[in-house]
Amino acid sequence: MTEIESLKQELKKVNAEYAGIRNVPAEERAEFGRKINAKKQEILAKIVATEKKMLDTQVEPIDVTAFCAPNESIPEVYSQEYGSRHPLATEIDRVCEIYQMMGFDVVESRQLDDEYHMFDSLNFAKEHPARDGYDTFRTEEGLIPPAHTSTMQHRVLKEYRDKLAQGKNIAVVVPGRVYRNEDVDATHEHTFYQCEGVYVSRECNMGQMLGILREFFEKYYEQKLEIRTQPGYFPFTEPSLEFMIEKPKSLGGKKGDFLEMLGCGMIHPNVLKMAGIDPAEYHGFAWGGGMDRLVMLKYGLSDVRAFESGNLSFLRNFR
Amino acid sequence: MKISLNWLRKYVDIDISDEDLIRTIGARLVEVEGVIDETHKYDSIYIVRVEKAEKIPDTHLTLCQVNVGDVDIPKVQKNEDGLVQVVCGAPNVREGMLAVWIAPGAVVPASVHEDAPFVIGKRKMLGKYESNGMLAGADELDFDDKHEKIAEVDSAVAQPGDTLAEVFGLNDKILDIENKSLTHRPDCFGVIGFAREVAGILGKKFVEPDFLHEETVFPEGFLTVEKDGPASRDATLDIEITNAEICPRYTGAVLKVTDATAEDKYLSEIQILIAKSGMMPVSRIVDVTNYLMLLTGQPLHAFDYDKFLKVGGKDTAKILVREAQPGETLELLDGKTIECIPSDILITSNGVPVALAGAMGGKNTEIDENTKNILLEAATFSLYHLRKTQMVHGIFTEAITRFTKGVPMSGTFNVLAEAVKEMNAKPLELRDKACVPFATNMVEVLVEDINRLLGTEYSRGLIIKTLENVGFMIVDAGDSLQVTVPAWRTDIHIKEDIIEEVGRLLGYDNIVPTLPLHQTAEPNRMWELKKRIREMMWRLGANELLTYSFAAGRLLERAGQDPKNSYKIVNSISPELQYVRQSIVPSLLDKAYVNQKIPFDTFALYEMNKVYQKEWGMNDEKVPVEKMQMGMVLAERKGIGTAYYKAKIYMANILDELNITAKYLPMKDGDEAVNRPFEPKRSAIVIADDGAVLGVVGEFKNSVRRSFKLAEYTAGFELNLDTVLQKIGGKRDIYLGEVEKRDLTVKTTGTYAELIDKINTLLMQNSVKAIITPISIYQPEGAEEKNISVHLEFHQKIDDNIMEELEKLS
Repeated sequence: MTEIESLKQELKKVNAEYAGIRNVPAEERAEFGRKINAKKQEILAKIVATEKKMLDTQVEPIDVTAFCAPNESIPEVYSQEYGSRHPLATEIDRVCEIYQMMGFDVVESRQLDDEYHMFDSLNFAKEHPARDGYDTFRTEEGLIPPAHTSTMQHRVLKEYRDKLAQGKNIAVVVPGRVYRNEDVDATHEHTFYQCEGVYVSRECNMGQMLGILREFFEKYYEQKLEIRTQPGYFPFTEPSLEFMIEKPKSLGGKKGDFLEMLGCGMIHPNVLKMAGIDPAEYHGFAWGGGMDRLVMLKYGLSDVRAFESGNLSFLRNFR
Repeated sequence: MKISLNWLRKYVDIDISDEDLIRTIGARLVEVEGVIDETHKYDSIYIVRVEKAEKIPDTHLTLCQVNVGDVDIPKVQKNEDGLVQVVCGAPNVREGMLAVWIAPGAVVPASVHEDAPFVIGKRKMLGKYESNGMLAGADELDFDDKHEKIAEVDSAVAQPGDTLAEVFGLNDKILDIENKSLTHRPDCFGVIGFAREVAGILGKKFVEPDFLHEETVFPEGFLTVEKDGPASRDATLDIEITNAEICPRYTGAVLKVTDATAEDKYLSEIQILIAKSGMMPVSRIVDVTNYLMLLTGQPLHAFDYDKFLKVGGKDTAKILVREAQPGETLELLDGKTIECIPSDILITSNGVPVALAGAMGGKNTEIDENTKNILLEAATFSLYHLRKTQMVHGIFTEAITRFTKGVPMSGTFNVLAEAVKEMNAKPLELRDKACVPFATNMVEVLVEDINRLLGTEYSRGLIIKTLENVGFMIVDAGDSLQVTVPAWRTDIHIKEDIIEEVGRLLGYDNIVPTLPLHQTAEPNRMWELKKRIREMMWRLGANELLTYSFAAGRLLERAGQDPKNSYKIVNSISPELQYVRQSIVPSLLDKAYVNQKIPFDTFALYEMNKVYQKEWGMNDEKVPVEKMQMGMVLAERKGIGTAYYKAKIYMANILDELNITAKYLPMKDGDEAVNRPFEPKRSAIVIADDGAVLGVVGEFKNSVRRSFKLAEYTAGFELNLDTVLQKIGGKRDIYLGEVEKRDLTVKTTGTYAELIDKINTLLMQNSVKAIITPISIYQPEGAEEKNISVHLEFHQKIDDNIMEELEKLS
């Protein structure tokens, strides 16, 4: 008898036992029923598991070292015309390439981090409401899928600070995936991409920050651009700004149209200090902006949800 | 937050165009989300006097003859006395009153922003009474939402024929401010603070209103204030604060009032300013508290004093401010009863809760028409506590919006005193309790520091003037500037904060962008690897996906993985996004189903991303070990044959192009989470020369494939890119010498790899080198043996002996 048959036999027996409930005194019936039912559930679970096991045992082994099965032809890869590259990945590559040309190293952001890197090391006061603004997810252990790529700032500063002693600058961009606990709609995703920039040197100032950012966007959009700023607020930069560019011609921009591109500012002395860099000697600036919108603008996309949909009707448009 | 430009103009002289002003505010102060243009909202609306009012029998209507002054509206006929006839349905219309007339052709202001604004006309009522336009209520004028009576205007402020807009300054533009961009600036949550900043960015000295900066004297020679606490002025009002942190300062006054719930008889400026700011007028007392909050940023609250005493069971008031106890409940003014959390701050009367501090008053001390005395509160509370209160109880009043930004403790007394004046009430008692000393913040900064960080060349004089304009006091100490921070600027602590003020007030847009010399960047090898793979996979007709890092526990289980090995999100958006994924393949299996359903017949999906597993533990930084992995799943709805070999070709293509020599070992029942979805009998573990595991390639377990509802022809792989990166080979040997090509067929019962090993051994023994490529495998039906054919490309001329020996292999 197979394992499954014997289990089914057992099930029958239990069902038969259940019929005996009539002979059980009324006050004991509930308990009796519970016991029988538990037994029944246990057997049913075993049947499911066994069936699953059987499904996976009725399998012919193959020669995994071969290149094809006997009497089959060697399979071919799909035609390149089906191939596609994810537009976000392509665009982030392009962004990083430009920054690399401008002397920035690329460090990819983590996707699971802790409170220290996400907030403490960035001069967020404990319990400060500014932390709520990030709508972070948390794990049972209190870990945080980061809500901004700034979660890498402290690491980058620490890892690169020796360069300062050698008379060099810190110049790093950090692309990466970030997460916020917010409802998803055409313009909001809980999962999206950002790119962070960190620059530290002895002489650096806000004029240089504006210069580097303008240079980047002029290279990216391949045209001269006017820039504008707005005061902003981030605990980890002081002063803090929002950075805007004139809407590029390639995006149908007209005179006077401006696009908010990113937040930026001079790195707060406390952030430098925490990373072991003397703020009296060195200054820095940092910025961070979303990648998804950049791509949506470039391709005229209206629904951010398409990016993580995995839908080939969308993805195969991007060669 | 809404800010009226006309209201601003009362406190700062603006001599540039509205457009320039709005643009400058955006560039130097705060994000302006939108501008509501009300310059024509009140066109053709006039003050009129009702000269005659006759009831129309058997209706609620009144036939009015109104004096419209010099106003002449086309097609509106005046009678022989020069009066215009209007039918009015309001109960309060009466002869002699000044009312507001919306002339025919004008748009009802409350409907201006509707899709079809309501244009008032001239029409016949009840078939015979001509009515020209209408007499408007405050609701039609968009000042409140109560539809009860028509608005009445004080004859001391207007006369018939005046336009309503001129009398009340209604030709206005309203700024819609993004609150988030002011989270650190509680002082800007009031018109005065906002005006101070506007003065600053226009380069003008701001003149503080008297009531805020002078020693305030209460009417009838009450008490004068000394601003250096901790101090409490004596009165019978007893204030106790259990913890200075939760309530740094509490000022309370008891006032005698008449008609506590009465509205202003006449349309008042206060009501209109409240309406323009997005709130609703309620009653004279509440309006004054709201008006002063909007003006100064300091919220006020009024209790019924006699109810307050009764609740506390004492003859004199004892205000006790404390944190809530577990399980305590309180019915609020909006009728909801809340269960307090321990961080809630409660205002209590002798211990009995009467208000959720900073958020909302309690029902038990609500002001009603019988109220004779009120207790007026002006206090500051811990923003951290109130932040929690706001979130937990979902209370988003204008008051708590301000308190959660950290209302400074400097204003309570002065604002309370102003409220008493505005209410025209008689103060009976007063007490001001400050638990924390008023600290004056001093910051020292060098002019060079400012210019160095900003990249500017601002003069010493300009910097000093700029800061002084907005209330900073500067002592020029030769080298450095000693800056005394005004009391309302709780956000300024270090010299960088001062530098920000200078940069911002003078305009960041005036900073000249420059480019530093740059150095050479170091390549990021993982980044380069991923770029190469992306290029290859595109060429190989595969599709790159990015899928969520979070997955349902059920999805992991379907892929054979144990959710317990995943970091679990406690505040996930949905159960679908509860676990951090352990490998890439399960997400792709899910998307394969989605695409097969659309339907796409054939595809190869892949993704490169980071994954985490609990069993990998923590790294040196005490954060979870992360791995960069590539997953691939290919599927064909109508595919026949062995899918494994197609997945393997993809894997082999990648490894070959990266010059990595790999071996495909039959998979034993692998317990690794990554291997779980794969069927051991039809999958291979892929290892590098030195045995390092590069990944796994194979078909999926039947149970897995079925649970994802995928067609039979499905296979994939998971590649550990961190290991791949380490194994990338150096340069490829390029052979340009003599070549001889032969085909070879061997009959064998062994595996392909075993045969290749034998061939290689034999060639090596003969000191011959050949590149071996597969051709075919033929197995006659029912036979044990297979005929394996390969192509050999010898790197030299060979004699037939070697081929004979090769053919003897089995």
